[in-house]
Amino acid sequence: MFTNLTKLDLKDKKCMSDAGSPKLCMKALPGEGAERSCAYDGARVVLMPITDVAHLVHGPIACAGNSWDNRGARSSGSQLYRRGLTTDIMENDVIYGGEIKLKKSILEIAAKHDPKAIFVYATCVSSLIGDDVDKICREAEAELTIPVISVNCPGFLGDKNIGNRIAGEVLYDRVIGTAKGSDERIPLSINLIGEYNIAGDLWGVLPDLKNLGIRLQTAITGDAKFDDLRSAHRASLNVLICSKSLTNLVRKMEIRYGIPFIEGSFYGIQDTSQTLINIAKALNDLDLLDRTLVYVKKKEEETRETIAGYKKLLENKQAILFTGGVKTWSMVSTLAELGINILAGGTQNSTPEDFQRMKKLMDPAAQIIEDTSSAGFLKIIAEKKPDLIVAGGKTKYLAHKTRTPFLDINHGRKLPYAGYQGMITFAETLTRTVLSPVWGHLKREFPPREGEQDD
Amino acid sequence: METCTKVTKDWLNTQEYREKNFAREKLVINPAKACQPLGALFCALGIERSLPFVHGSQGCAAYFRSTLSRHYREPVSAVSDSMTEDSAVFGGQTNLIEGLKNANTLYSPKVISLFTSCMAEVIGDDINAYLGNAKEQGAIPQELPVAMANTPSFKGSHITGYDNMLKGLIECLATPRQEDKINNRLYVVPGFDTYTANFREYKRLLKVMDTPYTLLPDQSDVLDAPNLGTYEMYPGGTSITEMNDALNAASFLFTQTYSTPTTRKYLDSKEVTVEVIPMPIGIAGTDKFIESVAKFTGKDVPEEITLERGRSIDAMTDAHQYIHGKKFALFGDPDLLIGVVSFLLEMGGEPVHIVCTNSTPLFKKAMESMLAASPYGQGATLYAGKDLWHLRSLLVTEPVDMLIGDSHGKWAARDADIPLVRIGFPITDRVNLHRYPIVGYSGVLNMITMIVNTFLEEKDRTSSDTYFEMMR
Repeated sequence: MFTNLTKLDLKDKKCMSDAGSPKLCMKALPGEGAERSCAYDGARVVLMPITDVAHLVHGPIACAGNSWDNRGARSSGSQLYRRGLTTDIMENDVIYGGEIKLKKSILEIAAKHDPKAIFVYATCVSSLIGDDVDKICREAEAELTIPVISVNCPGFLGDKNIGNRIAGEVLYDRVIGTAKGSDERIPLSINLIGEYNIAGDLWGVLPDLKNLGIRLQTAITGDAKFDDLRSAHRASLNVLICSKSLTNLVRKMEIRYGIPFIEGSFYGIQDTSQTLINIAKALNDLDLLDRTLVYVKKKEEETRETIAGYKKLLENKQAILFTGGVKTWSMVSTLAELGINILAGGTQNSTPEDFQRMKKLMDPAAQIIEDTSSAGFLKIIAEKKPDLIVAGGKTKYLAHKTRTPFLDINHGRKLPYAGYQGMITFAETLTRTVLSPVWGHLKREFPPREGEQDD
Repeated sequence: METCTKVTKDWLNTQEYREKNFAREKLVINPAKACQPLGALFCALGIERSLPFVHGSQGCAAYFRSTLSRHYREPVSAVSDSMTEDSAVFGGQTNLIEGLKNANTLYSPKVISLFTSCMAEVIGDDINAYLGNAKEQGAIPQELPVAMANTPSFKGSHITGYDNMLKGLIECLATPRQEDKINNRLYVVPGFDTYTANFREYKRLLKVMDTPYTLLPDQSDVLDAPNLGTYEMYPGGTSITEMNDALNAASFLFTQTYSTPTTRKYLDSKEVTVEVIPMPIGIAGTDKFIESVAKFTGKDVPEEITLERGRSIDAMTDAHQYIHGKKFALFGDPDLLIGVVSFLLEMGGEPVHIVCTNSTPLFKKAMESMLAASPYGQGATLYAGKDLWHLRSLLVTEPVDMLIGDSHGKWAARDADIPLVRIGFPITDRVNLHRYPIVGYSGVLNMITMIVNTFLEEKDRTSSDTYFEMMR
């Protein structure tokens, strides 16, 4: 087992900032662990769900070999985005430069894979050896009829959030607003920013939007088609669903195109309703607002009725919640809806506002998880002995070793949890997770032994 | 729109496209290899209380951990020193020293297995000198062993990284060979083998044959750890004591060839006896393993093993008609391919396309001569250095009955409308396969079961009522 020290013992004890939240998005300390991904991964996460384009990684095999087709972002059409395209930088390229290789690869993709655009990702190696990815993309684009867009996101720039942000800038600079046709505003249309259609989340929300007469211009970027993204500036409203790191994008869109933005979440009954109502309000359509108020009331009743059985089974269970972004607070109310108490909550990659919102929603007695490393996580489990853990997949197998039921709510999951329909799926899956008979077998001592414990 | 997609897809299935695809020079599509540091991390997990430490950008380490974790469905421990832009300018020494200090304080390892990812390699960090400085400054105790390997991902593949780390670990931990202190042990090195059950199978066979042995490295208890209610960060691995005594081994037996050349060369230079055999897959492959071990012990092969061999051969006779004459495509690492192809040839299966992204000239020669020597190998071609997009072209233009490879092959198999039997790494869409051995005589049974039952299942699900039968 670990020594009793955790990451926090290694640094200044005063890690709580003035606002009373832990230092969020704190840089990883060298040697503390390896949970955090990099800027390159962050950019991929945001852009990779764009379905009908090619995503070319200009890097050694590590960057693409380990990450092609590794997220559950679903597409209703083209599957091109899942193809693992890379220049596979080798030693000779490191010595002589990889620009020629990159150019040839781009032209090859354009000729044989029929993409609407090509996104080219720089990596640590391509940046360090001085390949000018921007220049090569411009050159290639001049020879082609499709956009070739460079994404300058070498991993060494830092955490995932930085990469998210870079991806937002790229969309703003190179994609949004580049459509050929009309620039006219489309009434009652919205963009969902930070919705990546993981496990088909988006499709859980679409029916409600449709029923209310709200048109989805595009999600950024779940199940997105390149042409729809180019016209994203025609939407009447931006709804920031997740990923605060895309705030820069909506702010800039507000300035350039005059599109207002609101924040929202489609996790849980309350937040789904509230978000739909806020959309209606922000769209400034009284008729829509009236329709929405009636609609959400009906949906809430229906959904609560459907999940009542699950609620009975889950009520008063004790949970640890560990997630990031909008889910930080949205999951608190989702779990509360099912009668689940939160013993401790923690967050990674969240902003202080997200954190404060979570804290307000939680029971004051609930503990804040400050140390987000594996060591800290295990310590909390040992102390709190929760009935269940709701978190991202990275901690799943750790939790299993402690015989604690675990539900993955990040990109590793296979089922959609967004919207009213998603709430039902969530309740059902959580019930199956918590009440699985396997936990019972695990807890039975065999053969009965005397007080032997791990050191 | 619809027609456009269709035309493209049809075109992808043509001979014309195949030729264009094979003319591709620079671009790699759907690569079937991982990188050096992933192999190094895997290797480092197999030593008692060894902490894998990635000197480089933090994202790399997160990728390796998640790839291994998804395959084994187990937690995987590793740390990174999270180099960032400033390290690119000033070098990674500060990160390395602080990282070693923190890692040692937090995780109390018995050995730190330090390896590099690209960033450190491109800027030319001298990890040896940095380590010296770290110890001098008291960041970690002088006596804490730190094994080192340079593992740039732009050179070789995961099997190269495995090899480099293994050599680094022996170099760091083993005391010099002393002719009067030679121990009586056979050190068995499994190579980049991701089947925890293969390790258990080796150990079982060695025990049955009454052999004093050390499995080096041994990830079986680390990546297939029992659930005992608490998380154990270091649940197993080759003991440090056995590592210390490695150069005094009576002999080394390597059961993989292409994932271990650097380590073998190092042992040769230390005058350690080294034997290398092909991965013991199939009857002949396993026979060779048993013979090598028997030669080492000087004892007869126990009856238990002869009986086991007999049962596997009996299973081969029961099932030969389902494999004989069937056409196969395969992809994977060199050692695995040699083993699986030799098994197919034993059963009369006909390999047609063999794709090896991380091929070497020696492997190519060995594979081609094995194919040439068998009547069932005549129709086979080895495609060295090709990727899974090439494989797709091969499958749709020159159809076969089955694809054998890891989960990454599922797209190509789907497009070609043939079943995929998952043998290799990573397997992220099926459960427990690493818990069944593919080596040894019991491995023969398991492979027959997997391959034949997949064919039969396919037949049952697709046959009309007329040909739907109780007996197959």
